Amino acid sequence: MSLLKPFSKLPGLCTANILLVESEEQFQQSLADALVEETAVTVNVRLAKSLPLPMENEESRPRIDLVVFIINLTSELSFQSAEASLKYLDPGYFLGKVCFMVTNARNASVPTERLDAVRKLAASLNCPLLFAEDQTPDGVTNATERLLTILKVAAGLVPMATALYLSNLTRCTVPPDIDQPSFD
Amino acid sequence: MDESTKRLLQRLIRRIPTQMLRTTLDKWGRLTGGQLHSMDFTQSKWALTEKLLAICEENELAVKHITELEMIYIIDNPNQGMWYAFQLMDPEDDAHSVELTQFKEQFKSHLRELIRHVSVKIKKHTDEAVWIRIAWGDTFSRPNHMKPTYVVHSLQTPYVFVTSLTSKQKPLLSQALVLSTRYQAIKDANLSGRKLTAIRDLLMRQYHQVFPTRYPTPLAENNPAVSNQHIEKEQAESAANRLQAACEAFGGGMLPQLQSAVYKLETKFRDHSNKTMTEREEPFRCVVKFASTNLLESLRHCASSGTKNLNCLHPCHTSALLYPPKRKELFCYHRQWPRSLLTNAPTTEMMGDKHLI
Repeated sequence: MSLLKPFSKLPGLCTANILLVESEEQFQQSLADALVEETAVTVNVRLAKSLPLPMENEESRPRIDLVVFIINLTSELSFQSAEASLKYLDPGYFLGKVCFMVTNARNASVPTERLDAVRKLAASLNCPLLFAEDQTPDGVTNATERLLTILKVAAGLVPMATALYLSNLTRCTVPPDIDQPSFD
Repeated sequence: MDESTKRLLQRLIRRIPTQMLRTTLDKWGRLTGGQLHSMDFTQSKWALTEKLLAICEENELAVKHITELEMIYIIDNPNQGMWYAFQLMDPEDDAHSVELTQFKEQFKSHLRELIRHVSVKIKKHTDEAVWIRIAWGDTFSRPNHMKPTYVVHSLQTPYVFVTSLTSKQKPLLSQALVLSTRYQAIKDANLSGRKLTAIRDLLMRQYHQVFPTRYPTPLAENNPAVSNQHIEKEQAESAANRLQAACEAFGGGMLPQLQSAVYKLETKFRDHSNKTMTEREEPFRCVVKFASTNLLESLRHCASSGTKNLNCLHPCHTSALLYPPKRKELFCYHRQWPRSLLTNAPTTEMMGDKHLI
């Protein structure tokens, strides 16, 4: 089984590499365009629909510092695809190098169970859960800024901060009454 | 101008959106330059209507001029109201040599024979289509211009598209059409929709994908350069393969905008946990409806994005949507339905009856 390993390659100088995994392949493109605009650091973006990644790219692929799973809450397929991709990541990634990003959380047609399931998944893996708005350029910019903050730490470019330390502060937590029925 | 003419004009102006009003009036050509200039298109619709009424009174325009204006507007904006497609059957020997003037005379005379008070206006559009506007009256009353029927027919093809036709008027129109086009019968083509352009393209196959072909892979030099050297797609090759397969089935260009397809399905139940239903003798009859803003485009997108559970992407299934039902097609099923309800055995037959809504 070809696992993606976090530390098997050497890092680049002043470079951060991010992998965006999204089943629909929509939001990742606009995020990628915004991420490469960053000037302080060279950001390389790899886009994938799901894991595992093809073996052919193994040598040319740089060391991936942060893996972001983009889940569209209106689609069950999106969630399932992200869940299925998780097993192709080396466990070393789950020490702060994985992040979940969720879109369309405000959509009325989203069943609450799905968001709860994503929350529980993120909490069980000790990963941060970000909510993003993908339809407007402002939303894309906001999501990009937050990703860049986590990416810089995960790539080791921020002194005195490591990915594991940051993930302890930002990881998703599940309120103890999540399984109680809500009031609406 | 009498009351009914005024009302007709008022209704027409209300219908035409303000941004199109100027160009439509221009095309109409019944207003002099000065009159057109004097109309202030930033005013409210009501004010414009009053102004136009005054101008038309001044020019002493009659009902037939107003109907001209209506026809111009409808020809430029055909995608409203429900259009129904009909097909003419069994051409006689001289059906293919019917030309415009002959058709016009014959159609008008046949229709007038059938119903005395009828007002017919025929106009040939630039793309070979003949547009006919019919206002129906009966033996005692004058033609009602408020509810006209529009008919579009391309002379060398057996297809006719009709809108706003009541069941009483249908046999009269059918007879007149059949006699004037020198065919022997007319039947319902089972295709209807709001977008005339879409159903016309579908029926007359003006879009390019006729059957699954080897879609030419684009040359590497023709491809636009990768957006940014820092962005790289991991699974680019499999994405390209999927896109290739989708284009082979659907074609690469614009697809006619099919919005809903309704099929009658006869199938057998298959679910081992439910013996009573499985052991029924008669086939299961149901109606299947596919709806989307653009069905063919969404199917093509499903294919290219690799939605694995959607098994309806075999080219001959897609051709079921593309051709009006003359043959029995294999049925395509959607993953959200209970699998037990449907089988994909070739014995399943489907009678297609497509409506574009």
